[in-house]
Amino acid sequence: MKPNFKPILILAAFLLPLALIIAAVPSDSIRPYKLTAAQMVQLVNQKEHFYSADQVASMLVAKDPSLQLIDVRSPDEFEKFSLPGAINIPLADLLNDQYTDLLNQDIKANVFYSNGTLQANEAWMITRQLGYLNNFVLEGGLNYWFETILNPQAPKTTSPDEEFARYNFRMGAAQALGGGGGLSTESTAKPMTPPAAKTSITPKKKKASGGC
Amino acid sequence: MESSSPTKKVRAYMNPYLAGVLLGLVLLAANFISGRGLGASGAVKSVVVTSVVTVNPHAAESSDFIRDYEKGHTGNPMKNWLVFQMMGVILGAFVSGILSGRLSLKTEHGPQTTSKKRLIFAVAGGILFGFGSQLGRGCTSGSALSGLAVMSAGGILTMMAIFGTGYALAYFFRKNWI
Amino acid sequence: MMGPLSVNDIISGDTNFLLAFFIGIAFGFVLEQAGFSSSRRLAGVFYGYDMTVLKVFFTGGITAMTGILLFGLFGWMDLSMVYVNPTFLTSAISGGVIMGAGFILGGYCPGTSFCGAAIGKVDAMVFIGGLFLGVYIWGFGFDLWKDMYVAGNMGSPKIGEWLGISDGLMALAIVVIAFAAFFVSEWVESRMAKSGKEN
Repeated sequence: MKPNFKPILILAAFLLPLALIIAAVPSDSIRPYKLTAAQMVQLVNQKEHFYSADQVASMLVAKDPSLQLIDVRSPDEFEKFSLPGAINIPLADLLNDQYTDLLNQDIKANVFYSNGTLQANEAWMITRQLGYLNNFVLEGGLNYWFETILNPQAPKTTSPDEEFARYNFRMGAAQALGGGGGLSTESTAKPMTPPAAKTSITPKKKKASGGC
Repeated sequence: MESSSPTKKVRAYMNPYLAGVLLGLVLLAANFISGRGLGASGAVKSVVVTSVVTVNPHAAESSDFIRDYEKGHTGNPMKNWLVFQMMGVILGAFVSGILSGRLSLKTEHGPQTTSKKRLIFAVAGGILFGFGSQLGRGCTSGSALSGLAVMSAGGILTMMAIFGTGYALAYFFRKNWI
Repeated sequence: MMGPLSVNDIISGDTNFLLAFFIGIAFGFVLEQAGFSSSRRLAGVFYGYDMTVLKVFFTGGITAMTGILLFGLFGWMDLSMVYVNPTFLTSAISGGVIMGAGFILGGYCPGTSFCGAAIGKVDAMVFIGGLFLGVYIWGFGFDLWKDMYVAGNMGSPKIGEWLGISDGLMALAIVVIAFAAFFVSEWVESRMAKSGKEN
């Protein structure tokens, strides 16, 4: 009797690829994704789910395709003013099936925004508890956006250089994004480089999922 | 492939790998539905505890084992996941036996031994297995198989101990089987 | 819907018991179909003439293991709610050794003995009698081996934690080992069949 290896090979054809998938996926994504209240508190306090206004502005100026702005205010408010490229998902419609694919993917970073941060934070908490890891919140909301990006205050002459760099960037961003700003005595020809510490966008996603 | 089927009339056994996949799916279902693996010795334990307490209600006070059991279980010890599962096992095996024409009263033993000897060894083996399953917190199903499925270190150790001992002792008991 | 259903209160306790019964039916049916109701077939794994036990056992183990991890990955099941057998070093090994001896003597393990008994195997029924006796002896003399029972408590570690690798890699390693064992057992079986003919 010759050994018959055929059934083993058939079985291996099914099981080995599955086992390889499991082995290839980082182990912390196999962990349960539902967070306890305590974990949520910790996560909220770490503030790693915030995208700063400068960061979002720089991504918008650079037309970074990995950014997806989501306006969680009402359609009326969205009509009156919205950030470039933003789509409107009112908080009440967040769990609508049609948005699941958008909210739960790992290609784009969704950044929720509202007037303040309250509604955006609520949207983030809901999606986070569902296990969606690619959602973030615009720090300070639209109010802060208006104050800093669209109508930046010129720093005092005694301010350190980085303040000026930030101001220049904001002025440039405001113009590029069609906000206020207007003409400035400062040279706008300077490259629009935001402060270095605020530009890193890619590691943000990793940190958020690794933090839990 | 089923060269070892005992007689021609009965239907051949299922391909072992196919049976294994089905067994794995049953185990997966148990984990998905109830968050636990399969088991057998636990049901035996429930029956023993029930009968001891029924025959001698004072036993519960004198035996740490029963007190220990009752601490971890509330209500009737027969109303236990494994007891229901084992009733299903008996029915499932019975149905399978009918469908495959394997239903018959007989004692299986190797060609070099007698039925009587076989039965004595079966009792001895049962006692050891019953005792060992309590010490090892589960038998081949509950500890080794279910433990392997959730990659429990203890379950895999127990599995290795069971099969390792089996191989180590196989030579001495070969006349029972071959 | 996320598993485990009973832990997450998606099904009630009584439904859980009813489903336990159905799971049992499937379990018993598969064991019997695989030939686990025959003690000679079971004991064959220790002599190489019939490696069914190893094949079914490991295929079942790796299928369930892969499935559980995939369910966890897809978010269908909360793996932290799945029961992981605790590890008590002393009793895990000594209990396993005693069970191994019981296996080679009795030719059954508890689950399979019920399958054998269900289709009329007298040796299986007698084995079950022994099981009850064994559990009774355990309970009767519990004070004598209580210390041994609770010695070496290590919590509920997973085997990957001991070896310092991720669950996923450990699972892959176990699957590979299982397939190696399948090839070896097919080969051993064919060798045994050949030598059986020559004798």
